This record gives sequence, C-alpha cells and structure tokens, in this order.
Amino acid sequence: MSLVTRNVLIALLITVALAGTVAYAVDYLNRARVAELSTIEDQISIDTLSLDTQFSLLAAAPCDSVASSTTLTGELSDLGNRLSYAEDQLGTNNPQVVRLKEQYSLLEIRDYLLTKQLASACGTKPVTVLYFYSNAGDCADCNKAGYALSYLRTTYPALRVYSFDYNLDLGALKTLIAVTKINDSLPAFVIDGKRSYGFTSLEDLEQQFPKGALATSTVTAPNTKQ
Amino acid sequence: MSYQMLTLPFLFLAIFFESFVLVTLLSKPARAARGRGPVDETPSVAVIVPCWNEATTIAATCASLLALDYPADKLEIVLVDDGSTDATPAAMTAFEENPRVRIIRKENGGKHTALNAGIAATSAEFVGCLDADSFVEPDALREIIPCFARPEVAAVTAAMSVHQPKNLIQHMQNAEYTFGITLRHTLASINGLYVTPGPFSFYRRSIIDELGGFRHGHQTEDMEMALRLQRSGYEIENAPRARVYTKSPDTALKLIKQRTRWTSGFLRNVLGEYRSLIGNRRRGVLGMLVLPTSIIAIGSSILLFLTMLFELGRSLVAAIEVRAGIPLSYALAPHGSFDWFYFPASFFILLSLSALLTSLTLIIIGKRISKTPGSIGLGLISYTFLYGLLVPLWLMRATADVTLGKNRGWRW
Repeated sequence: MSLVTRNVLIALLITVALAGTVAYAVDYLNRARVAELSTIEDQISIDTLSLDTQFSLLAAAPCDSVASSTTLTGELSDLGNRLSYAEDQLGTNNPQVVRLKEQYSLLEIRDYLLTKQLASACGTKPVTVLYFYSNAGDCADCNKAGYALSYLRTTYPALRVYSFDYNLDLGALKTLIAVTKINDSLPAFVIDGKRSYGFTSLEDLEQQFPKGALATSTVTAPNTKQ
Repeated sequence: MSYQMLTLPFLFLAIFFESFVLVTLLSKPARAARGRGPVDETPSVAVIVPCWNEATTIAATCASLLALDYPADKLEIVLVDDGSTDATPAAMTAFEENPRVRIIRKENGGKHTALNAGIAATSAEFVGCLDADSFVEPDALREIIPCFARPEVAAVTAAMSVHQPKNLIQHMQNAEYTFGITLRHTLASINGLYVTPGPFSFYRRSIIDELGGFRHGHQTEDMEMALRLQRSGYEIENAPRARVYTKSPDTALKLIKQRTRWTSGFLRNVLGEYRSLIGNRRRGVLGMLVLPTSIIAIGSSILLFLTMLFELGRSLVAAIEVRAGIPLSYALAPHGSFDWFYFPASFFILLSLSALLTSLTLIIIGKRISKTPGSIGLGLISYTFLYGLLVPLWLMRATADVTLGKNRGWRW
C-alpha cells in the first residue's frame, strides 16, 4: 500500500471518528436537555399541586394570600423559555416536549382560573390575555402576535398572558377552547373575556385592552410560548 | 432538506482533507524534508526580478537579495524592467554599478516575457524569480538549494508570509499564507503542488529550457509552469524555512481583485490545457486528490455561501417582519440568557468548529515549521471571522469570469 493510500485511509478514519464524536456529543447534550426538562416536569407537578393546595386554602381565606398566588410566575417564565427552546431543538413532535407542553398548558389554565377566582373574591381587576397560536404552519401572523405580546408583557409586567398551542391534544385545553368559543382562525385572543382574531399591529392589539388597563395592571404574568 | 444538511458533505470533505494534511505532515517524507539542513554546495544561481511600475519597492527587494548568504560569484541578480511607466528605471539605476546586478529593459510584454528575458540573460544552473514587492531572509537561498538534491526535482517553493501586516485584511492574509506554508510543505512531500509562487520559487534551468520557458498562463504563469512541470513528470519541492515576505493587498476590494485573478487562472489552466491531470492516476496525489478537491472546494464554497446568504436573508426578513411596529428600545435589545441549556450545539455547528480549529492548528504548525517570527494572534482572529466571508466573493467572481470568458487587468 502506498503512503498516499495509507494516509487517505487514516484521514477517512479520522473524519468518521470525528463525525461520530460530534454526533455523540450532540446526542449527549440533547439527552441532558431532556433530563433538564424532566426536572422541569417534576417542578411543574409540584407547582401544580401547590396551586391546588392554594385553591383550597384560599377557599377559607381567599384574599389573605393574593401575593402567594403569583409566586409561580417567575418559575413559569423560565420554564416557558426553556420549553420554547427545547421545542426548537428537539422538534415539535418530540414526545417529551409534547408532554411538557401539556403540563405547562394545564398549569396555565389552573393559574388563569385562580386569578379569576381571586379577582371575584377580592375585587381586584387583573388584565388577562388568553392567546391561541399554532406551530403547524397554518398561522402566518402567530410569530408577530407572540412577539408583540412578549413586548407588552415586558413593558407591563402586571399583564397576565397565557399562551396555548391550539393544536395540542389536551382535554382541558379543548374544554377551554370550547368554553371561550375560539375557532381555528389563528392567532386568537381572549382579552378580559372579549374574543378577537388575527394580528395586524401592536397599536391595534393595544386598543383591544380595556381603557387604562395596561397602565394600571399590578400583578405579574407567566411566560408565553409564542 | 435544510441548508445544514446540504452543507454536510462539503464539511466532511474539508475535515477529510485537513486530516489528510495532518497525517501526511507526520509521515516519513515530510519529517525527512523538515530535517533537511543547508549543504556546502553552492551552484550558480540567478534571481530574476520582473518589474512593472515597482518604483516604491524594487530597491528594498534588490537590497534583500544582495544580503543573501551566498557566495557573491555564484549569485546573479537580474532586474527586468518590463516597460515601466513610473520611476522604476530610475530606482534600478542605483544598482547599476553593482557587479552582481544585471539590469534589462524591454517593452512591456507581461510578467512571463520578463521572466524569459531574465532567464535568457543568464547561464546559471538554477534560476529563481522574486516578485518586486517581496523580500527574502538572508538564509533563504541556503534553505532552497539542498531541495534540488534529486535530479527529478525541477522546482522548489519557499515559505511565504505577508510583509509587515498592518490591518485586519493583511493579518488575515498572513494567517492564510502561514496555512499555505503547512500545506505546501506537506503536499510537496508527496509531490502534490500545482503552483510555484512568484515570491522566490526556483527552477532547474535545464528543465525550464527543455519545457520552453514561461507562458502567459492566463495571468498565472507560476501556476501554468508548475502544472507543466507536473505533467512532464517532474517534482516540485518545498523549503519550509526559506522565508520570503511579500506585500499584500490592504483592502478587501484589492484582495478580491488579486484572488479573482489567481482563481480564474487556476480554473482556466486546470480545466483547460491541464484537464488531463484531473483524476490521472499517474500524477498521483495531485491528480487523484489535490486538483479534484480544489475544484470541488470552489464549487462547494460558492454553494455554501449562497445557501447561507439565502437563509440569513430569510431570517433577517422574518426578524424585521416580526419586529415591525414594536418600539426599537425593545426590538433591538437582546432577550437571551446565558445558560448551558441554550448552547446551540448542532451537528453542523460542532463539525464546522472542528474544521475551523483544525485550520487554526495548521496555521500555528506552519508558523512553527517555518520559524517565522512575530505574532500570529491577530491573523488567527481575522482569519476566523473574515476569511470565510471574503473567499466566496472572489470564487464567485472568478467563476463568473471564466464562465463568461471575461479577462481582467493584472494589478490589484
């Protein structure tokens, strides 16, 4: 075997070995991400249970624990960001990601219900937005709407935005969609109980909020997916 | 299929070629070449300096040749004024009285005619050429001569660096030239060179005469000569410690002009008169690996660049669309967080990083092999961030020129 042939074969081996190592490293990192997501799942389970407990406690003394009802929001913001990134990296159909999205959506619905209950019992007027989006490629304006809501949430920290993947196969979410009578013209919003569809501009979106609501909101909000 | 999938075969090819260079670098022939030391033999040598409007540099170039560590009676310097229209003739007259310097003046006819005129004026056993904007280290010639020990060696190339790099573009070229030192040294050890660069390449006079001297070679007479030598079955060696410094373009535009000429010359020569070398088993590593890889590299670089430009443009349009109507204070502010979770480690990115790291390693190796003084730090940085953006520009321009049959001027 000539020197060049031998070196070509060695170089091929090195290339294959390097590509294999890189593939392993990427897989390792993705597995670490999934492990992190599992931890997040556990955290969400605990938080959900905590929220249930808060519901029970608040039934006896509803207005004494208004502040504690929002302790979840900081964690939710971080979890939402990670979930969004994991969805980009691992794929929308990754079973782990889908399961986490379902749990995340459940938590959002519970938080939304708690917020409404507290508002009714204690006379507060939190501004809530239910935002329905789709990642299935059938919603041209969802990215714009999601970005505008992110801006509003950052600018008005008291705003509570709950984002839901319209196509997620989750019973509670389907019930919410049925209750709020949202159809599949996405993006769709329920702002303080009022339905609207489509996104044209930030200005138009802002006009759908109750007058002065954006300036006077006082409760912090969870993160949104889109 | 995503653009990343499209790029993977070319990334594999790049890593394979770099691995091949590294393995060959450690092989016996390359090690033997590095161990080659100066010899006492001092055959007669002539250095031809073709000049066309080189008034600002010719004196320093000639002075560096006169400072070569070589017996005065064995070294002849031939300055050929190829019809300069500036003060080059006046600058040459400063050396008129020097017995080692011969000055030839002729009508402008192109670099190859100047080289041939210089060769015709000397009877030296070995002839070298030195571009009039280049400067040699005193021991360079002593490093080159031993490489001619075997009679089949027809030419020897030197180790080029950029002369006093000042800005990022020049530092980037310096890193690229240093990469070239490793590449030339390695490929020469298995006779895979296809260019004998203008700065201080030497030729066995008898073989140059046998082959009929230099030709126009599509404005790359050094490449044409090297390809002709290879086709005739001769070998091209390299002296990795024969250091020569050359002036380099100081703007991206000038660099693109210069490299367009080089690349179009390569394409015209290799795909034209020397097409038979491609895939030719008898031409060994040059025909089976170096030339095919070089041609594929040109095509793949253009494809990668255009694909990435398209993806970048699409992302940019999407980002602008999403941000339309949002206050700039929010839209332009970063909204990320530093966490390992968000590390963008895709197969494509990690493989690209591997290829880049190997390139940087080969640059550092080139500096060590040639014992080139000075820091390469800025060169590595500018090479990392600039080179990949500029290369496709001259590759596309050259490919378009060749396709459309367009010829450009020589100067950058």
